[in-house]
Amino acid sequence: MSTYDIAIVGGGPAGLAAAERTLAAGLSICVIDEQQRPGGQILRQPPATFSVPGWLGGAPYRKGRALLDRVSGDARLQWLGGRSVLGVMPDGEGFALTLSGTAGGIEQVRARRVLVAGGCYDMPVALPGWTLPGVMSAGAVQTLIKAQQVLPGQRIVLFGTHPLMIVLAQQIVEAGGEVAAVCFAQPFAAMARTALAHLPRALRTPGPLLAAAAGIMALRRAGVPVRYGAQALRCEGTDAVERIVFSNGESIACDVAAMCYGFLPQADLIRQIGAEVRWSDPAGGWEAIHDEAMRSTVPGLYVAGETTGVAGSDAAMAEGALAGVAIAQDAGALSAEEAAAAIRKPQAERQAMQGFIDLLRGVADPRPWLPEPEPETLLCRCEDISAGTVDRAIADALEVGPSFGASAIKLRCRAGMGLCQGRTCEHALVRRIASARGCREAEVTGFRPRFPARAVSVADLLEGAA
Amino acid sequence: MKEAGVKRVEQGVTRPAPVAVELDGAPVMAHPGETVAVAVLSTAPRFRDDRSGQARGMFCNMGTCSECTVWVARGDAPWRRLRGCLVPVEPGLRIRTERPEA
Amino acid sequence: MSMPTTTHCDILIVGGGLVGCATAWHLSRLGFKALLAERGHLNSGASGQNAGSLHFQIERRFLEQGEKAAADGARIVSLNRLAIEEWKGIENMLGRPLDVAMHGGLMVAETEAEMDLLAFKVARENELGLQTRVLSGTQLHHKASALSPNLAGAAWLEDEGHANPRTLVDAFADGARGQGAVVQTGTALAGLSMQRDRTYRATLHGPDGEITVNTPRVLLAAGHWVPRLAGLLGLNVPLYPAPLMMSVTDRTEPVLPFLIQHVGRRLSMKQTEDGNLLIGGGWPSRLAKRADGTPDLDRPAIVEPANLRANLDVGARVMPGLAERSLLRTWTGTTCISADQLPIVGEVAAAPGLFVAAGGSLFTLGPVLARLLARTIAEGAAPEELTMFTPRRFAHLDAFAVLP
Repeated sequence: MSTYDIAIVGGGPAGLAAAERTLAAGLSICVIDEQQRPGGQILRQPPATFSVPGWLGGAPYRKGRALLDRVSGDARLQWLGGRSVLGVMPDGEGFALTLSGTAGGIEQVRARRVLVAGGCYDMPVALPGWTLPGVMSAGAVQTLIKAQQVLPGQRIVLFGTHPLMIVLAQQIVEAGGEVAAVCFAQPFAAMARTALAHLPRALRTPGPLLAAAAGIMALRRAGVPVRYGAQALRCEGTDAVERIVFSNGESIACDVAAMCYGFLPQADLIRQIGAEVRWSDPAGGWEAIHDEAMRSTVPGLYVAGETTGVAGSDAAMAEGALAGVAIAQDAGALSAEEAAAAIRKPQAERQAMQGFIDLLRGVADPRPWLPEPEPETLLCRCEDISAGTVDRAIADALEVGPSFGASAIKLRCRAGMGLCQGRTCEHALVRRIASARGCREAEVTGFRPRFPARAVSVADLLEGAA
Repeated sequence: MKEAGVKRVEQGVTRPAPVAVELDGAPVMAHPGETVAVAVLSTAPRFRDDRSGQARGMFCNMGTCSECTVWVARGDAPWRRLRGCLVPVEPGLRIRTERPEA
Repeated sequence: MSMPTTTHCDILIVGGGLVGCATAWHLSRLGFKALLAERGHLNSGASGQNAGSLHFQIERRFLEQGEKAAADGARIVSLNRLAIEEWKGIENMLGRPLDVAMHGGLMVAETEAEMDLLAFKVARENELGLQTRVLSGTQLHHKASALSPNLAGAAWLEDEGHANPRTLVDAFADGARGQGAVVQTGTALAGLSMQRDRTYRATLHGPDGEITVNTPRVLLAAGHWVPRLAGLLGLNVPLYPAPLMMSVTDRTEPVLPFLIQHVGRRLSMKQTEDGNLLIGGGWPSRLAKRADGTPDLDRPAIVEPANLRANLDVGARVMPGLAERSLLRTWTGTTCISADQLPIVGEVAAAPGLFVAAGGSLFTLGPVLARLLARTIAEGAAPEELTMFTPRRFAHLDAFAVLP
């Protein structure tokens, strides 16, 4: 079994930035990722067998691409792509990580320290008809275009609250696809008001704001309709989505309806290890609690990027660099003075971008605009558990007492017991429990993430036993 | 079967020559490096039927939701349930949306 | 529900698992005013974490520890016969479906030596009135074609099966409340003392603050936490934590109507109503540790991947189709084992009015033990079937206790 100074879980901007710092300090590292190639979701690369000269040429990707080029070209990097981390167990002075190949196989690696930079995923929002084929997350459409160079449909509607829709619509148009409409649930005036309130601080990093403005102009030139105050009510179709209906009565024909209400941190692994997390507003999910050097509450375990709260790839790069420095220092590869000097720049960068991050969180806040599922709408897509069934379980639990969390509801109705292990429905359960209990989401305990962090073939585990 | 709306971007992209994989017993052409999910999507948006018999499609394309889980066999290896969005196709790969007969 | 800061009850039950809730159910039917305090939420310990097996054959652990243990195991058989009747009637008794499936159980053997052990075990069980019988390899394959053709045979008992550990405790708790019991979740026992009149004063910490409870009787039914709670009175209950692992696969079509155990290896395997395969059988996980290296019973135990693989390996040897499934979740739960492997159920000799009930196998035996314990409490004397479980067998451990 290989032993590393540091195992980095997640090869996106945060993981790569940490890899760069720890490699520079002379530590032995491996980077583990479910994707075949480094970059994370934001820089999801086409397969090595493809040639895409113009891939992600825009200004917002420049800094990340430069990092990707530097780190993935470093021969000292042990890249363990195409692998899921099933568990991180305490093992002597460090950790033992059990990995499964995304296409099969099992292996173990040891590391003295672990950085979890697991990124985030699109918030799955249950609305009537959302289980029809063709209804998917915005991230699905975006990564199909970026990495697979595939448009999933002929006529795509984007709906939700997150301005990422502007970026995605552009990418669809550039790839030769048709965007039937971009539908923001919130009225334009509300967005503008929130944006203005944050503008002075956000202007410390004007790049993303200028890119957003340019994106809106580009969509206008391309003739893509952008609607505001258009709340999605339901998706309709027989064998696949055929249209999506909005609160203003408008019904838009489409073969792909992509939702974009924000992003949840990937936190199952850190929760499995027992690191402390807190509810992550505004979109929900759980974010890792950490100190200023990105140490989690578990000794030897570090966190960076969206796992600590969704803030975008620039923030992830800065946090990854901070974590990398702290790891190098804790490993004795950097002196306190060297570390203090090394964190100055990423710390300043991270602080400077907070204004924009707050603006984006405020503008994109999905909470007032979430569609309401009907009682028969499935909340748990794996086990086919409806909102009505979940609500009955919550009502039953409330009879017993007010202190229950998501696990108690899972035990009562099986929501969260399927293949995705609760990643899809947990946040919805927590919101509904909080609403029934009359408390904040932060007061509701979530599921207890277990080994394996991803479903794994028993055959693979058996080969590992032999 | 409803015509799949998937479109491969041609401009600015060079792919290796397609290879044949087997999807539910029928041959499907896919480019090495493409994922099993794209191979399925290129024929229809349906990946499985749920417990009430409703067709279901892929959702997140990043290994998180498991909605694209299908049965995959490489060469002589036994069938495994895998997330289709994470598995690259290769010549001769067999894919099933329903549990294969042993 | 808000409670006065000082309250009185006929019995304070500590622990909202199967034994606590079922005893509350029985006692409230008998007219007792029961107050049940659960530190977390109901069914959050071993009662909800076990795999729901209803196993009545003499357990492997009693067969592998020599003659004395085998004799004890045999003594449990008479109780198991009562337990079978209890489970057959439980859905009627509680008035709701509990996924009780008693389609039979097979304890399989792979070798001739294991077949000999099965024959020995079945002979003892038959003497004690348990209708097990030995099946040859051919008979076994005929009965359960999903199992490996390589198995040498099995012991068959038609009453074995499984039930849903997720719903049983709620059913007892709901019923108990309907009969007047007070069930307080999020409420921990923080202090317990015996008064000069030999009644008890308990301090509970609940969501609305501190509650003082005066009561003539206390039942500690908190699984592996019982020794810690008994320690509040300076008493010793020799129960030791046993952290285990259970695993569940994705759903599949019905292939396994029976409970499967293995006479020579640690295994329990069954299929739920929803189609998931549940695999366990006593493979240890690891207790979490505090910073000072001592065991931390308040945090979940940690999966031991090597033991998980070994557990699945036994499962796949017995049923090859298991290899095709996906593992969804392995969870840990901590049961406990007593100094002589038998549960400890009854009144503590040094502290009249103090009852304990814990000690392993308490899913299968929980409902019947709760019934017998409730009778003990109501009648002031233990029925014959409970005598082998009495805490009095460890009375010597309390020789130095200081009580009023």
